[in-house]
Parts: sequence; C-alpha cells; structure tokens
Amino acid sequence: LNAAPGRAPRQHVRFLPAPGGGAAGLVAVRVPVLADHPLVRGPRFRRLKIGAGHPLDTKASGVFVLGIGHGTKLLTDLYNCHLTKVYTVGGLFGKAADDFSDTGKLIEKTTFDHISREKLERIVAVIQGTNHKALLMHSNIDMKTQEAYELAVKGLIRPMEKSPPLITAIRCLQFALPEFQLEIHCLHETQQYLRKIVHEIGLELKSSAVCTQVRRIRDGVFTLDDALLRTQWDLQSVQNAIWDCQLKVKTELEKTLG
Amino acid sequence: MAAAMWGTLRRVRRPPPVLHRGLAKPAGPRSVRQLREAEEAAAVFQYTGKAAKRKDRVFVWGFCYSGALGIPSFVKPDVGWKKPRRIQPTPYRLETEEKISSAACGYGFTLLSSHTSDIIKVWGMGLNKDSQLGFQSSRGNRAKGYEYVLEPSPIPLPLEKPQQTRVLQVSCGRAHSLILTDSEGVFTMGNNSYGQCGRKVVEDETYSESHLIHQLKEFDSRVVQVVCGQDHSLFRTKKGAVYACGWGADGQTGLGHYDITSVPTKLHGDIAGVNIIQVSSYGDCCLAVSDEGDVFGWGNSEYLQLASVTETTQVNVPRHLPFKIGKIKEAACGGTGNIVLTEEGNVFVWGYGILGKGPNLLETAVPEMIPPSLFGWSDFNPDVRVAHVRCGLSHFAALTNKGELFVWGKNLRGCLGIGRMEDQYFPWRVTVPGEVVDVACGVDHMVSMVKSFA
Repeated sequence: LNAAPGRAPRQHVRFLPAPGGGAAGLVAVRVPVLADHPLVRGPRFRRLKIGAGHPLDTKASGVFVLGIGHGTKLLTDLYNCHLTKVYTVGGLFGKAADDFSDTGKLIEKTTFDHISREKLERIVAVIQGTNHKALLMHSNIDMKTQEAYELAVKGLIRPMEKSPPLITAIRCLQFALPEFQLEIHCLHETQQYLRKIVHEIGLELKSSAVCTQVRRIRDGVFTLDDALLRTQWDLQSVQNAIWDCQLKVKTELEKTLG
Repeated sequence: MAAAMWGTLRRVRRPPPVLHRGLAKPAGPRSVRQLREAEEAAAVFQYTGKAAKRKDRVFVWGFCYSGALGIPSFVKPDVGWKKPRRIQPTPYRLETEEKISSAACGYGFTLLSSHTSDIIKVWGMGLNKDSQLGFQSSRGNRAKGYEYVLEPSPIPLPLEKPQQTRVLQVSCGRAHSLILTDSEGVFTMGNNSYGQCGRKVVEDETYSESHLIHQLKEFDSRVVQVVCGQDHSLFRTKKGAVYACGWGADGQTGLGHYDITSVPTKLHGDIAGVNIIQVSSYGDCCLAVSDEGDVFGWGNSEYLQLASVTETTQVNVPRHLPFKIGKIKEAACGGTGNIVLTEEGNVFVWGYGILGKGPNLLETAVPEMIPPSLFGWSDFNPDVRVAHVRCGLSHFAALTNKGELFVWGKNLRGCLGIGRMEDQYFPWRVTVPGEVVDVACGVDHMVSMVKSFA
C-alpha cells in the first residue's frame, strides 16, 4: 500500500536568488515544500484499522468477514441484521471425545452399524422442528396477532436481538458409514455449539459421534466465491473484493435495517 | 609386597549389587502413536443391535383431575407433600403393557385398545359415572364399581372366542363408548338415555355400576369403522353404507327426522348408493367422505358448518357439500369447526372458532386453506405434507408424513400440549420425543401413539 504513488508534494513559491551569477534580483520559482518530501514525511500508512466479523475458531475454516478502515462501522450494522450463516459440518460415528471433535481425548467407543440414513434424517428433521419452534418463541412477537400469523406463513420470523444459538435449517448432505456430512443454517451460534450438536445426534442414535470438520460456506451475504484464498492476500485482490461486495452489502443493510 | 597387597584388594568381593525397582518413565504429553494405540485398545460399547426394533409408546397430556390421562400420581400423589396436578401441559409418557393400536378420547375418559389376541384387549381410564368403561369392580367391595378410574384398567368383553377375535378400533362420545371387533360385531357400553348404545331406551335406568355391554351384529356387511358423536353413534360398513342411532334433535342421525333412534338404521339422502370410505363426528355435526373424493354432511349447522348448502341450522338428511377444493381424502368434525385433507396434501378448515388462520378468521362457511408453510413445508423441505387430520371439541390436530404433530385451536385446560395455556391461532408443533403415528383428540386431553427414533 505504501508503494502506491502517494499525494504529490505541495508546491509553493519561493523567491530564490537567480541562478547563474551576476543578474540582480530574485526570481520566483516553484519549489516543492521540503516538509512534504517523502524522506521527511515517512511512509503514508503505518497502521490500518481492521475489524473482524462473526468469530471463527482455530479448528474451523471458511468465510471470515473483515472490515477495513471505515468498513468497521458497517460490521456492527451487519451484525444487527441477524442474517443466517451456513456451515458444512462433517462427523464420524463410533467415537465420543471430551471436546466433541476428533482431536480430543477419547471417552468412549461404540458400535454404529445399526445407523441408517433414514434414522439420521429423522433425527435431523426433529432438530429442525424444535429449533423452528424456538425461533418463533425468541422472536418476541405476540403469537395472538394477525401479524404474527402472516410472518409465520412467509417464514420471515427471526429473532432480531440476542438469542441462544438457533438452527433455522439442517439437512444431511452425505452419508457413508462411519462418516456423514450435514449442512446447517444457523443464527448466533459458535462452532463449539455445532460440534455439540454432532455429539448429541450421535447420542440420540444410541451411538456416539465426533465432529471432524466445521466449514463456514456463507456468512450473511458473503459466500465462498467472494472469499480470498491465502495466495490472494495482496492489495489488488483485496481492493477488487471490497469493490465487488460493496453493492451487495449496501442493499442488504437497506433492506433489513430500513 | 605391594603387588601382593593390590592382589588382595582386587580379590575383595564387590558388595552384592543393590536391587533397583524399575522406575516408571515420567508421564509427559503422549505421542501420537501412543494415543492411537490407546484408542485402538479401548473397549467398544454396544448400546443397541443392528436389528433393534423401534419401540411403540403412548404419550398423554391435558386435564388430569378426571383420571383420563391414566397416571394415578397426577390425581392422588404417592408422596404426602405433593399436590395433585391439575393440568399436564406437555406430552407425558404412559407406560402400557401391550402395543396400543387404537385410542379414543371421550368427554373426560379414554379408551386404549391393542391388536393382541390375549384375553385383555381394551383398557379404559377416566370418568366412569355412566359405565362408559364397563364395570370396574372396586377392590374394597366387589359389588360396587369405581366412579373414576385412575389408571388403564382392563375392560372385560363378553366375546365368544376371546383368544381369536381382535379389537380393531375404539371410539368414545360424551358418556358412551363403542368397541369394534373383526368378527363379533360392535360392543357398546355407557349411557343409553338417547339410544346411542343401539338398544331400547329403558326408563329410569341407572347407568352407573352397570354390567351391561350390548352387542350389535345386524348390519348389511361387516362394520369397518365406528364413530361416536356427543350423544349418537355412527357405523360404517364394508359395503360403504352408514348406520346411525342415538339422539337426533339436531338431525345428527341423518335419518330424516329429529327423534331419537335406538336401533342402528341405514342412512339415505345424498349418500344412498355412494361408497363411503370415512365417517367422522365428535359434537353434533357429521361428515362422510366417499371414494370419489366428495364430502357429505348432516347434523348441526348453527356454526355455518353446512351453510354452503342450506340456511337452516339443522340438517337431518345427508347432503352433498359442493366444495371445489380437489379430491378429499380425509375429514374430521369438531364441535364448531370442520377440517378436511385433500389428495394433494392441503388442509382446509371452515365453521366457527379458532380455525387456524390467525385471530382474524373466526368463522367461515366456505373452506379456507391453511398455507403448507405452517406445517414445515419450505424450499428446503419440499416433500413435507400433511398425512392425517383430527379434531377435538374446540381444537384441531394435523400429522405430517415426517411424523410431526401440529395443533391449533382453543387451549382448553392445556389440551394442546404446547406448554403454554394460551389459545393457539395457527398450527404449532408439539415436541414429542419420537415419530407420531396417530393422535386422538378429546375435549380437554389428547393421547398420541408414537414410535421411538432408533
């Protein structure tokens, strides 16, 4: 960023003795102000304000939103929009660990050959049902009004304040014993909560499960396509990314916050 | 000499070696290989086998004081300091010995029946002031009967072949009950002051502590469904005919008059010659569905249930209801509102009361559809549809093909089972730990038959 050409140095008029000897008088010459000289001023950017969006812990991967400079103010607005995030969560049957992931201390091993895709989908449907109920209850709308009925029909009811972690949709993407993969749409969650859900699914199926992978594939309006890879962490890509997302973020904020 | 001295010194035996115990290696962070070995050596627990069957369970909820929930500790707690529980607001498991195949909720009592060929096939609990649960002899005095039965008690049926006949279905009304068997007709018990038990009305008969169980066999073919209205009974036979007996002041017997009938008589009107595949009633209005998807209604119409065909408030002959909502698969009648399910899986409601479309819709004569998104349908789950509909006196229930139960309506004494005491104006899920297979709705309590998950 500092290598980019900076502001041109200011110029002022100074009266200097005329070059070449002899001639009397002073000549007005435009000369750059010495105070603006790059060697005097130093690099233009010494610090950059960067803010982070929804947290992503060390064992998880995926889309992580950062706000740069004035964008940090947009981060709080995006948080207040309460948009859902989408994760792909991979799990493994047969083990139970203390921190619910495959790198933790082993607590118990169980059999899992009785589990079928149908049973998993049944449990997943019930999780979705109870979370849907909790969604309606935490959204703080009086159930007796016509307005609540109309919002419930359209499926737009969502808590607009702090609430416990809620799952809006969950489905099974892949199932190959002992591994399985789920797609989870959620609100106000932490990655450890998702690992706990995997553990509880294992318990409900009378076996045990640990979480092998948590990957965020969407955070509000930002998807995997907008995300920058490790090899793309340079100024040009960052600027392009900011430019592409600006319109999306603006429309979403206007739509939700009015 | 010096050399000799050195020799002796060298020959001195070394002290015997001190015995050292092998010290354990210090326990540091275990390496990956050690962890893997420990994991592989760990024992594997088996909680369930590959061929484990899903268990069948019964859940009950609602008003407890009448004993209709079948859990004695709700009415008479086993510990002195506990107070009797008035309402059970969420589903509570009822332990039964046999798998219950059919359940019915009446006005303050419940009947459960099983498909077994054992001698005891039907259990009853709740109010027994009119012997609607048969004669339940009290333990103190064999001659006297219980007025309130607090836990599922067997009902002895006078069967000719008790170890071969199977009970197919049970149904309960206000103070009478009907039990349908596969080869021995229909058994009726309870109040007969309007002839609803299918036998001649005896003046001044005392119905409490009565041993009388009447058997009905004279129909044109085998009876396949029995339905109890408030004070009348409907029988549907295999040939598609409908018989009725009982109180008729609102025309609910559909026989063309407003008197009581004490012998089951065949209905005519618009259903003559039509093959009826389902009948339903709970209050004073009745609905019947034909195999072609048409719906017929008769009985009370004070709440606009039949207002689409007639302005009168009582209809005593079955009339075809010309609704253009698609082929109808199932219908259910409540006290003031009706609900039907079409072949496409859409749910329509009409009548009076909390119909399920928000607080603004309180009465309508024409069926209104309830949006499928309220039953869990969405772009994410497009294959969710309603499989069955049931009706209590002032509330409705719908079962989806995913095994979820949705209820709405007046929450009378906690009968909806949603954990809150307020009325519910649109379909709301009931959290039941299992897949709901069937549900029976009563006035102020409900019974559901559930299969466990794994």
